Amino acid sequence: MFDFRFYEIWRSEEFVQVLFEGAFNSFWLTTVGGIFGFILGTGLALLQDKSVFVGLRLLARSYVEIIRNTPFVVQMFFVAFGLPILLDMQWSFFASALLAIMLNFSAYFSEIIRSGIDSTPKGQIEAAYSLGFKKYDLVKDIILPQALEKVYPSLVSQFVFLFLTTGLISEIGIEDITWAGRFISDRNFRDFEVYLVLSAIYMSMSWMFILILNGCRRKLFPWRAEK
Amino acid sequence: MNEATNNSIVIENMNKWYDDFQVLKDINLTIKQGERIVICGPSGSGKSTLIRCLNHLEIYQEGKITVNDVHVFNGMKNPEAIRVEVGMVFQSFNLFPHLTVLDNCILPQLRVLGLDKVKARETAMTFLERVKIPDQADKYPAQLSGGQQQRVAIARALCMKPQIMLFDEPTSALDPEMVNEVLDTMLELAESGMTMVCVTHEMGFAAKAADRVIFMDAGQIIEDSTPTEFFENPKHERAKEFLGQIL
Ligand SMILES: Nc1ncnc2c1ncn2[C@@H]1O[C@H](COP(=O)(O)OP(=O)(O)O)[C@@H](O)[C@H]1O
Ligand SMILES: [Mg+2]
Repeated sequence: MFDFRFYEIWRSEEFVQVLFEGAFNSFWLTTVGGIFGFILGTGLALLQDKSVFVGLRLLARSYVEIIRNTPFVVQMFFVAFGLPILLDMQWSFFASALLAIMLNFSAYFSEIIRSGIDSTPKGQIEAAYSLGFKKYDLVKDIILPQALEKVYPSLVSQFVFLFLTTGLISEIGIEDITWAGRFISDRNFRDFEVYLVLSAIYMSMSWMFILILNGCRRKLFPWRAEK
Repeated sequence: MNEATNNSIVIENMNKWYDDFQVLKDINLTIKQGERIVICGPSGSGKSTLIRCLNHLEIYQEGKITVNDVHVFNGMKNPEAIRVEVGMVFQSFNLFPHLTVLDNCILPQLRVLGLDKVKARETAMTFLERVKIPDQADKYPAQLSGGQQQRVAIARALCMKPQIMLFDEPTSALDPEMVNEVLDTMLELAESGMTMVCVTHEMGFAAKAADRVIFMDAGQIIEDSTPTEFFENPKHERAKEFLGQIL
Protein backbone atom coordinates (compact mmCIF):
# COMPACT_ATOMS: atom_id res chain seq x y z
CA MET A 1 0.00 0.00 0.00
CA PHE A 2 1.28 3.42 -0.92
CA ASP A 3 2.41 5.37 2.09
CA PHE A 4 0.62 8.74 1.94
CA ARG A 5 2.56 11.49 3.63
CA PHE A 6 0.43 14.57 3.46
CA TYR A 7 2.36 16.15 6.30
CA GLU A 8 5.16 16.62 3.77
CA ILE A 9 2.92 19.43 2.53
CA TRP A 10 1.48 20.74 5.79
CA ARG A 11 4.73 20.81 7.70
CA SER A 12 6.09 23.64 5.56
CA GLU A 13 4.56 27.01 6.25
CA GLU A 14 5.84 28.16 2.87
CA PHE A 15 4.04 25.34 1.03
CA VAL A 16 0.76 26.11 2.73
CA GLN A 17 1.12 29.78 1.98
CA VAL A 18 1.94 29.07 -1.68
CA LEU A 19 -1.20 26.95 -1.93
CA PHE A 20 -3.35 29.70 -0.41
CA GLU A 21 -1.91 32.34 -2.66
CA GLY A 22 -2.32 30.05 -5.64
CA ALA A 23 -5.96 29.48 -4.79
CA PHE A 24 -6.46 33.21 -4.35
CA ASN A 25 -4.86 34.02 -7.71
CA SER A 26 -6.83 31.35 -9.52
CA PHE A 27 -9.98 32.64 -7.90
CA TRP A 28 -9.69 36.27 -8.79
CA LEU A 29 -8.22 35.77 -12.25
CA THR A 30 -11.05 33.40 -13.13
CA THR A 31 -13.68 35.63 -11.57
CA VAL A 32 -12.56 38.86 -13.18
CA GLY A 33 -11.72 37.14 -16.48
CA GLY A 34 -15.10 35.40 -16.30
CA ILE A 35 -17.02 38.63 -15.75
CA PHE A 36 -15.33 40.39 -18.65
CA GLY A 37 -15.58 37.23 -20.71
CA PHE A 38 -19.31 37.20 -20.05
CA ILE A 39 -19.69 40.80 -21.15
CA LEU A 40 -17.62 40.22 -24.28
CA GLY A 41 -19.44 36.93 -24.92
CA THR A 42 -22.79 38.69 -24.74
CA GLY A 43 -21.54 41.25 -27.22
CA LEU A 44 -20.27 38.53 -29.54
CA ALA A 45 -23.59 36.68 -29.35
CA LEU A 46 -25.51 39.84 -30.20
CA LEU A 47 -23.15 40.73 -33.03
CA GLN A 48 -23.57 37.29 -34.56
CA ASP A 49 -27.33 37.16 -34.23
CA LYS A 50 -28.57 40.71 -34.34
CA SER A 51 -26.06 42.86 -36.18
CA VAL A 52 -27.32 44.36 -39.40
CA PHE A 53 -23.74 44.57 -40.67
CA VAL A 54 -22.72 41.35 -42.37
CA GLY A 55 -19.05 42.20 -41.87
CA LEU A 56 -19.44 42.42 -38.09
CA ARG A 57 -21.38 39.18 -37.98
CA LEU A 58 -18.66 37.43 -39.90
CA LEU A 59 -15.95 38.90 -37.74
CA ALA A 60 -17.64 37.79 -34.53
CA ARG A 61 -18.38 34.38 -35.97
CA SER A 62 -14.75 33.88 -37.09
CA TYR A 63 -13.45 34.99 -33.72
CA VAL A 64 -15.61 32.46 -31.89
CA GLU A 65 -14.67 29.68 -34.29
CA ILE A 66 -10.96 30.39 -33.94
CA ILE A 67 -11.04 30.47 -30.15
CA ARG A 68 -13.15 27.35 -29.84
CA ASN A 69 -10.95 25.38 -32.21
CA THR A 70 -7.51 26.22 -30.88
CA PRO A 71 -5.93 25.21 -27.58
CA PHE A 72 -6.00 27.61 -24.67
CA VAL A 73 -2.20 27.39 -24.27
CA VAL A 74 -1.71 28.62 -27.80
CA GLN A 75 -4.11 31.50 -27.23
CA MET A 76 -2.34 32.40 -24.02
CA PHE A 77 1.11 32.32 -25.62
CA PHE A 78 -0.23 34.48 -28.42
CA VAL A 79 -1.53 37.01 -25.92
CA ALA A 80 1.63 36.88 -23.80
CA PHE A 81 4.29 36.83 -26.53
CA GLY A 82 2.73 37.40 -29.94
CA LEU A 83 0.43 40.36 -29.33
CA PRO A 84 3.06 42.47 -27.52
CA ILE A 85 5.29 42.17 -30.60
CA LEU A 86 2.47 42.88 -33.03
CA LEU A 87 1.28 45.91 -31.09
CA ASP A 88 4.74 46.94 -29.92
CA MET A 89 3.48 47.20 -26.35
CA GLN A 90 4.48 45.55 -23.09
CA TRP A 91 2.28 44.19 -20.36
CA SER A 92 2.66 41.87 -17.40
CA PHE A 93 2.08 38.16 -17.48
CA PHE A 94 -0.80 38.75 -15.09
CA ALA A 95 -2.41 40.97 -17.64
CA SER A 96 -1.79 38.34 -20.31
CA ALA A 97 -3.35 35.62 -18.19
CA LEU A 98 -6.39 37.77 -17.47
CA LEU A 99 -6.77 38.75 -21.11
CA ALA A 100 -6.35 35.16 -22.28
CA ILE A 101 -8.98 33.92 -19.84
CA MET A 102 -11.38 36.63 -20.88
CA LEU A 103 -10.91 36.04 -24.60
CA ASN A 104 -11.17 32.27 -24.21
CA PHE A 105 -14.24 32.29 -21.95
CA SER A 106 -16.05 34.82 -24.12
CA ALA A 107 -16.20 32.51 -27.13
CA TYR A 108 -17.74 29.66 -25.16
CA PHE A 109 -20.15 31.96 -23.38
CA SER A 110 -21.26 33.54 -26.63
CA GLU A 111 -22.26 30.16 -28.07
CA ILE A 112 -24.42 29.45 -25.05
CA ILE A 113 -25.97 32.91 -25.00
CA ARG A 114 -26.75 32.62 -28.69
CA SER A 115 -28.70 29.46 -28.08
CA GLY A 116 -30.77 31.42 -25.55
CA ILE A 117 -31.33 34.29 -27.96
CA ASP A 118 -32.35 31.90 -30.72
CA SER A 119 -34.96 30.30 -28.52
CA THR A 120 -36.86 33.56 -27.93
CA PRO A 121 -40.53 32.82 -28.60
CA LYS A 122 -41.75 34.58 -31.72
CA GLY A 123 -44.68 35.97 -29.78
CA GLN A 124 -42.35 38.01 -27.56
CA ILE A 125 -40.84 39.74 -30.55
CA GLU A 126 -44.22 40.37 -32.13
CA ALA A 127 -45.64 41.73 -28.90
CA ALA A 128 -42.75 44.14 -28.51
CA TYR A 129 -42.93 45.28 -32.13
CA SER A 130 -46.68 45.68 -31.97
CA LEU A 131 -46.20 48.02 -29.01
CA GLY A 132 -43.79 50.11 -31.09
CA PHE A 133 -40.44 48.88 -29.76
CA LYS A 134 -37.38 49.53 -31.84
CA LYS A 135 -35.01 46.64 -32.37
CA TYR A 136 -32.43 47.97 -29.93
CA ASP A 137 -34.88 48.11 -27.02
CA LEU A 138 -36.40 44.79 -28.04
CA VAL A 139 -33.01 43.10 -27.79
CA LYS A 140 -31.91 44.87 -24.63
CA ASP A 141 -35.11 44.76 -22.61
CA ILE A 142 -36.96 41.70 -23.85
CA ILE A 143 -34.74 39.21 -25.66
CA LEU A 144 -31.53 39.39 -23.64
CA PRO A 145 -32.94 39.11 -20.10
CA GLN A 146 -35.06 36.14 -21.05
CA ALA A 147 -32.22 34.47 -22.96
CA LEU A 148 -29.80 34.87 -20.05
CA GLU A 149 -32.30 33.42 -17.62
CA LYS A 150 -32.78 30.42 -19.85
CA VAL A 151 -29.08 29.65 -20.34
CA TYR A 152 -27.88 30.59 -16.87
CA PRO A 153 -27.37 26.97 -15.71
CA SER A 154 -25.37 26.19 -18.86
CA LEU A 155 -23.28 29.31 -18.34
CA VAL A 156 -22.53 28.30 -14.79
CA SER A 157 -21.39 24.81 -15.71
CA GLN A 158 -19.35 26.11 -18.65
CA PHE A 159 -17.73 28.64 -16.34
CA VAL A 160 -16.77 25.96 -13.83
CA PHE A 161 -15.43 23.73 -16.58
CA LEU A 162 -13.34 26.59 -17.96
CA PHE A 163 -12.10 27.41 -14.48
CA LEU A 164 -10.59 23.92 -14.38
CA THR A 165 -8.62 24.66 -17.56
CA THR A 166 -7.04 27.83 -16.19
CA GLY A 167 -4.19 25.85 -14.61
CA LEU A 168 -2.40 26.44 -17.89
CA ILE A 169 -1.65 30.03 -16.90
CA SER A 170 1.06 28.60 -14.66
CA GLU A 171 2.95 27.98 -17.92
CA ILE A 172 3.67 31.69 -18.18
CA GLY A 173 4.62 31.87 -14.53
CA ILE A 174 1.35 32.95 -12.95
CA GLU A 175 1.40 31.67 -9.41
CA ASP A 176 -1.95 29.93 -9.43
CA ILE A 177 -2.99 26.63 -7.83
CA THR A 178 -1.28 24.49 -10.45
CA TRP A 179 1.90 26.54 -10.15
CA ALA A 180 1.79 26.05 -6.37
CA GLY A 181 1.53 22.30 -6.90
CA ARG A 182 4.54 22.22 -9.12
CA PHE A 183 6.45 24.46 -6.69
CA ILE A 184 5.79 22.07 -3.82
CA SER A 185 6.32 18.80 -5.61
CA ASP A 186 9.60 20.07 -7.04
CA ARG A 187 10.75 20.48 -3.44
CA ASN A 188 9.24 17.59 -1.51
CA PHE A 189 8.93 15.05 -4.36
CA ARG A 190 5.53 13.97 -3.07
CA ASP A 191 3.75 14.41 -6.45
CA PHE A 192 0.91 12.04 -5.65
CA GLU A 193 -0.09 13.79 -2.42
CA VAL A 194 0.42 17.21 -3.91
CA TYR A 195 -1.82 16.58 -6.89
CA LEU A 196 -4.45 14.97 -4.68
CA VAL A 197 -4.48 18.14 -2.61
CA LEU A 198 -4.66 20.23 -5.79
CA SER A 199 -7.65 18.21 -6.97
CA ALA A 200 -9.35 18.77 -3.64
CA ILE A 201 -8.72 22.49 -3.87
CA TYR A 202 -9.99 22.70 -7.46
CA MET A 203 -13.04 20.70 -6.52
CA SER A 204 -13.94 22.78 -3.51
CA MET A 205 -13.45 25.97 -5.49
CA SER A 206 -15.72 24.62 -8.22
CA TRP A 207 -18.37 23.91 -5.64
CA MET A 208 -17.91 27.33 -4.17
CA PHE A 209 -18.39 28.94 -7.59
CA ILE A 210 -21.51 26.86 -8.15
CA LEU A 211 -22.89 27.77 -4.74
CA ILE A 212 -22.26 31.47 -5.24
CA LEU A 213 -23.61 31.54 -8.79
CA ASN A 214 -26.70 29.52 -7.94
CA GLY A 215 -27.24 31.82 -5.01
CA CYS A 216 -27.21 34.80 -7.37
CA ARG A 217 -29.79 33.23 -9.59
CA ARG A 218 -32.83 34.26 -7.59
CA LYS A 219 -31.55 37.82 -7.31
CA LEU A 220 -30.70 38.05 -11.00
CA PHE A 221 -33.89 36.51 -12.29
CA PRO A 222 -36.61 37.20 -9.71
CA TRP A 223 -39.43 36.19 -12.05
CA ARG A 224 -38.13 32.65 -12.08
CA ALA A 225 -38.47 32.14 -8.37
CA GLU A 226 -42.05 33.39 -8.40
CA LYS A 227 -43.40 30.90 -10.88
CA MET B 1 -49.57 64.39 -47.47
CA ASN B 2 -52.87 62.62 -47.40
CA GLU B 3 -55.90 64.57 -46.41
CA ALA B 4 -57.28 63.52 -43.07
CA THR B 5 -60.37 61.37 -43.36
CA ASN B 6 -62.51 59.72 -40.77
CA ASN B 7 -61.43 56.34 -41.99
CA SER B 8 -59.25 54.38 -39.58
CA ILE B 9 -58.24 51.69 -41.99
CA VAL B 10 -58.45 51.49 -45.76
CA ILE B 11 -57.34 48.39 -47.63
CA GLU B 12 -57.41 48.56 -51.40
CA ASN B 13 -56.90 45.71 -53.83
CA MET B 14 -54.48 44.02 -51.49
CA ASN B 15 -52.75 40.76 -52.37
CA LYS B 16 -50.23 38.86 -50.33
CA TRP B 17 -48.19 35.76 -51.01
CA TYR B 18 -46.02 33.45 -48.98
CA ASP B 19 -43.61 32.39 -51.70
CA ASP B 20 -45.97 31.16 -54.42
CA PHE B 21 -48.90 30.54 -52.07
CA GLN B 22 -51.38 33.40 -52.22
CA VAL B 23 -52.66 33.88 -48.69
CA LEU B 24 -54.74 37.05 -49.27
CA LYS B 25 -56.65 37.73 -52.46
CA ASP B 26 -57.89 41.08 -53.61
CA ILE B 27 -58.83 42.43 -50.19
CA ASN B 28 -60.89 45.61 -50.12
CA LEU B 29 -62.01 46.89 -46.76
CA THR B 30 -62.72 50.29 -45.26
CA ILE B 31 -63.12 50.70 -41.52
CA LYS B 32 -64.36 54.00 -40.13
CA GLN B 33 -63.25 55.58 -36.93
CA GLY B 34 -65.06 54.01 -34.00
CA GLU B 35 -66.29 51.05 -36.01
CA ARG B 36 -66.18 47.61 -34.47
CA ILE B 37 -65.45 44.82 -36.89
CA VAL B 38 -65.51 41.10 -36.24
CA ILE B 39 -63.60 38.90 -38.64
CA CYS B 40 -64.38 35.21 -38.70
CA GLY B 41 -63.82 32.28 -41.00
CA PRO B 42 -62.28 28.86 -41.03
CA SER B 43 -58.80 28.24 -39.75
CA GLY B 44 -56.16 29.05 -42.35
CA SER B 45 -58.38 31.49 -44.23
CA GLY B 46 -55.95 34.37 -43.68
CA LYS B 47 -57.58 36.28 -40.81
CA SER B 48 -54.43 36.62 -38.72
CA THR B 49 -52.33 37.45 -41.73
CA LEU B 50 -54.75 40.20 -42.70
CA ILE B 51 -54.72 42.00 -39.37
CA ARG B 52 -50.98 41.54 -38.98
CA CYS B 53 -50.51 43.48 -42.19
CA LEU B 54 -52.29 46.44 -40.60
CA ASN B 55 -49.50 47.14 -38.10
CA HIS B 56 -46.72 46.00 -40.39
CA LEU B 57 -45.97 42.76 -38.56
CA GLU B 58 -46.38 41.24 -42.02
CA ILE B 59 -45.59 42.76 -45.37
CA TYR B 60 -47.83 42.55 -48.41
CA GLN B 61 -46.90 42.65 -52.08
CA GLU B 62 -49.76 44.36 -53.92
CA GLY B 63 -52.35 46.98 -53.23
CA LYS B 64 -52.43 49.64 -50.55
CA ILE B 65 -53.11 49.78 -46.83
CA THR B 66 -53.71 53.07 -45.10
CA VAL B 67 -53.98 53.26 -41.33
CA ASN B 68 -54.90 56.57 -39.73
CA ASP B 69 -54.14 58.19 -43.07
CA VAL B 70 -50.62 56.78 -43.07
CA HIS B 71 -49.58 54.54 -45.92
CA VAL B 72 -48.29 51.22 -44.52
CA PHE B 73 -45.96 49.54 -46.99
CA ASN B 74 -43.04 47.18 -47.30
CA GLY B 75 -39.84 49.06 -46.51
CA MET B 76 -41.48 51.96 -44.71
CA LYS B 77 -39.02 53.93 -42.61
CA ASN B 78 -40.82 54.19 -39.35
CA PRO B 79 -43.34 51.43 -38.71
CA GLU B 80 -43.14 52.23 -34.97
CA ALA B 81 -45.15 55.39 -35.56
CA ILE B 82 -48.10 53.41 -36.87
CA ARG B 83 -47.71 50.62 -34.32
CA VAL B 84 -48.10 53.06 -31.45
CA GLU B 85 -51.51 53.98 -32.80
CA VAL B 86 -52.54 50.37 -33.27
CA GLY B 87 -52.74 48.12 -30.21
CA MET B 88 -52.66 44.38 -30.69
CA VAL B 89 -53.82 41.53 -28.50
CA PHE B 90 -52.71 38.00 -29.31
CA GLN B 91 -54.20 34.59 -28.81
CA SER B 92 -51.25 33.57 -26.62
CA PHE B 93 -51.19 36.82 -24.56
CA ASN B 94 -47.44 37.34 -25.11
CA LEU B 95 -46.89 39.18 -21.87
CA PHE B 96 -43.24 39.68 -21.04
CA PRO B 97 -42.61 36.90 -18.50
CA HIS B 98 -39.63 38.59 -16.89
CA LEU B 99 -41.54 41.74 -15.98
CA THR B 100 -44.23 42.21 -13.39
CA VAL B 101 -47.73 43.02 -14.56
CA LEU B 102 -47.10 46.65 -13.73
CA ASP B 103 -43.76 46.73 -15.55
CA ASN B 104 -45.32 45.06 -18.57
CA CYS B 105 -47.54 48.12 -18.75
CA ILE B 106 -44.84 50.65 -17.85
CA LEU B 107 -41.86 49.60 -19.96
CA PRO B 108 -43.43 50.20 -23.40
CA GLN B 109 -44.48 53.68 -22.29
CA LEU B 110 -40.91 54.46 -21.23
CA ARG B 111 -39.24 53.03 -24.32
CA VAL B 112 -41.72 53.96 -27.00
CA LEU B 113 -43.52 57.03 -25.75
CA GLY B 114 -40.56 58.36 -23.78
CA LEU B 115 -42.70 59.07 -20.72
CA ASP B 116 -41.24 59.35 -17.25
CA LYS B 117 -41.78 56.60 -14.71
CA VAL B 118 -44.26 58.41 -12.51
CA LYS B 119 -46.57 59.31 -15.38
CA ALA B 120 -46.23 55.83 -16.92
CA ARG B 121 -47.06 54.17 -13.63
CA GLU B 122 -50.14 56.31 -13.21
CA THR B 123 -51.40 55.37 -16.66
CA ALA B 124 -50.59 51.72 -16.05
CA MET B 125 -52.61 51.65 -12.84
CA THR B 126 -55.52 53.42 -14.52
CA PHE B 127 -55.78 50.75 -17.17
CA LEU B 128 -55.11 47.87 -14.79
CA GLU B 129 -58.08 49.17 -12.83
CA ARG B 130 -60.11 49.36 -16.02
CA VAL B 131 -59.47 45.68 -16.68
CA LYS B 132 -60.17 45.03 -12.97
CA ILE B 133 -56.82 43.63 -12.05
CA PRO B 134 -54.96 46.35 -10.09
CA ASP B 135 -54.38 44.01 -7.14
CA GLN B 136 -52.17 41.77 -9.31
CA ALA B 137 -49.88 44.60 -10.37
CA ASP B 138 -46.77 43.29 -8.63
CA LYS B 139 -47.11 39.69 -9.74
CA TYR B 140 -45.36 38.07 -12.64
CA PRO B 141 -47.44 36.85 -15.62
CA ALA B 142 -46.79 33.19 -14.81
CA GLN B 143 -48.60 33.67 -11.52
CA LEU B 144 -51.84 34.74 -13.21
CA SER B 145 -54.61 32.75 -14.83
CA GLY B 146 -55.01 32.88 -18.60
CA GLY B 147 -57.96 35.24 -18.38
CA GLN B 148 -56.05 37.58 -16.09
CA GLN B 149 -53.04 37.51 -18.39
CA GLN B 150 -55.15 38.39 -21.37
CA ARG B 151 -56.72 41.31 -19.50
CA VAL B 152 -53.24 42.54 -18.62
CA ALA B 153 -52.30 42.25 -22.28
CA ILE B 154 -55.29 44.44 -23.14
CA ALA B 155 -54.30 46.96 -20.46
CA ARG B 156 -50.72 47.00 -21.72
CA ALA B 157 -51.90 47.78 -25.23
CA LEU B 158 -54.27 50.48 -23.98
CA CYS B 159 -51.49 52.19 -22.03
CA MET B 160 -50.04 53.27 -25.36
CA LYS B 161 -53.30 55.20 -25.99
CA PRO B 162 -53.89 53.60 -29.37
CA GLN B 163 -56.69 54.72 -31.64
CA ILE B 164 -57.25 51.26 -33.05
CA MET B 165 -57.21 47.89 -31.32
CA LEU B 166 -56.62 44.61 -33.11
CA PHE B 167 -57.56 41.32 -31.47
CA ASP B 168 -56.42 37.99 -32.86
CA GLU B 169 -58.59 35.28 -31.33
CA PRO B 170 -58.07 36.68 -27.83
CA THR B 171 -60.19 34.01 -26.14
CA SER B 172 -59.22 30.93 -28.14
CA ALA B 173 -56.46 29.86 -25.76
CA LEU B 174 -58.57 30.31 -22.64
CA ASP B 175 -60.38 27.80 -20.50
CA PRO B 176 -64.13 28.26 -21.04
CA GLU B 177 -64.76 29.79 -17.61
CA MET B 178 -62.32 32.61 -18.38
CA VAL B 179 -63.67 33.57 -21.77
CA ASN B 180 -66.31 35.89 -20.39
CA GLU B 181 -64.04 38.05 -18.27
CA VAL B 182 -62.04 38.85 -21.39
CA LEU B 183 -65.10 39.38 -23.56
CA ASP B 184 -66.59 41.71 -20.92
CA THR B 185 -63.42 43.78 -21.04
CA MET B 186 -63.68 43.93 -24.81
CA LEU B 187 -67.34 44.88 -24.65
CA GLU B 188 -66.53 47.77 -22.34
CA LEU B 189 -63.86 48.89 -24.74
CA ALA B 190 -66.31 48.66 -27.61
CA GLU B 191 -68.71 50.95 -25.72
CA SER B 192 -65.94 53.49 -25.24
CA GLY B 193 -65.87 54.16 -28.97
CA MET B 194 -62.52 52.59 -29.81
CA THR B 195 -62.00 51.38 -33.36
CA MET B 196 -61.78 47.62 -33.00
CA VAL B 197 -60.92 44.80 -35.37
CA CYS B 198 -61.49 41.46 -33.69
CA VAL B 199 -60.75 38.10 -35.16
CA THR B 200 -62.96 35.87 -33.07
CA HIS B 201 -65.45 33.07 -33.27
CA GLU B 202 -67.38 34.36 -30.27
CA MET B 203 -70.60 35.08 -32.08
CA GLY B 204 -72.24 36.36 -28.90
CA PHE B 205 -69.65 39.10 -28.82
CA ALA B 206 -70.20 39.79 -32.51
CA ALA B 207 -73.93 40.10 -31.96
CA LYS B 208 -73.53 42.49 -29.05
CA ALA B 209 -70.62 44.63 -30.14
CA ALA B 210 -69.93 44.41 -33.85
CA ASP B 211 -71.07 46.93 -36.42
CA ARG B 212 -70.03 44.57 -39.18
CA VAL B 213 -69.05 40.95 -39.51
CA ILE B 214 -66.49 40.01 -42.13
CA PHE B 215 -66.36 36.42 -43.22
CA MET B 216 -63.19 35.17 -44.85
CA ASP B 217 -62.51 31.99 -46.72
CA ALA B 218 -59.38 30.91 -48.56
CA GLY B 219 -57.80 34.34 -48.44
CA GLN B 220 -60.84 36.27 -49.60
CA ILE B 221 -63.46 38.39 -47.92
CA ILE B 222 -66.70 36.74 -49.01
CA GLU B 223 -69.19 38.41 -46.68
CA ASP B 224 -69.26 41.87 -45.21
CA SER B 225 -72.54 42.50 -43.46
CA THR B 226 -74.22 43.51 -40.23
CA PRO B 227 -74.31 40.83 -37.53
CA THR B 228 -78.05 40.35 -37.93
CA GLU B 229 -77.75 39.84 -41.67
CA PHE B 230 -74.82 37.55 -41.22
CA PHE B 231 -76.45 35.32 -38.63
CA GLU B 232 -79.95 35.24 -40.07
CA ASN B 233 -79.26 35.28 -43.72
CA PRO B 234 -75.68 34.47 -44.73
CA LYS B 235 -75.33 34.81 -48.48
CA HIS B 236 -72.67 32.24 -49.12
CA GLU B 237 -72.76 28.51 -48.72
CA ARG B 238 -69.35 28.53 -46.96
CA ALA B 239 -70.62 31.02 -44.40
CA LYS B 240 -73.70 28.90 -43.72
CA GLU B 241 -71.55 25.85 -43.24
CA PHE B 242 -69.22 27.75 -40.96
CA LEU B 243 -72.07 29.09 -38.83
CA GLY B 244 -73.53 25.60 -38.67
CA GLN B 245 -70.28 24.33 -37.27
CA ILE B 246 -69.63 26.93 -34.60
CA LEU B 247 -73.12 27.79 -33.36
N1 LIG C 1 -45.05 32.60 -42.19
C1 LIG C 1 -45.80 31.85 -43.03
N2 LIG C 1 -45.23 31.22 -44.08
C2 LIG C 1 -45.97 30.48 -44.93
N3 LIG C 1 -47.29 30.30 -44.83
C3 LIG C 1 -47.92 30.90 -43.80
C4 LIG C 1 -47.21 31.70 -42.84
N4 LIG C 1 -48.10 32.16 -41.93
C5 LIG C 1 -49.28 31.67 -42.29
N5 LIG C 1 -49.20 30.91 -43.41
C6 LIG C 1 -50.31 30.24 -44.11
O1 LIG C 1 -51.23 31.22 -44.50
C7 LIG C 1 -52.54 30.78 -44.35
C8 LIG C 1 -53.33 31.75 -43.50
O2 LIG C 1 -52.84 31.73 -42.18
P1 LIG C 1 -53.51 32.61 -41.05
O3 LIG C 1 -53.58 34.01 -41.48
O4 LIG C 1 -52.77 32.31 -39.80
O5 LIG C 1 -54.96 31.99 -40.98
P2 LIG C 1 -56.08 32.16 -39.87
O6 LIG C 1 -55.63 33.20 -38.91
O7 LIG C 1 -57.29 32.55 -40.62
O8 LIG C 1 -56.24 30.82 -39.24
C9 LIG C 1 -52.45 29.38 -43.76
O9 LIG C 1 -52.63 28.46 -44.81
C10 LIG C 1 -51.08 29.31 -43.20
O10 LIG C 1 -50.59 28.00 -43.28
MG1 LIG D 1 -55.20 32.97 -36.83
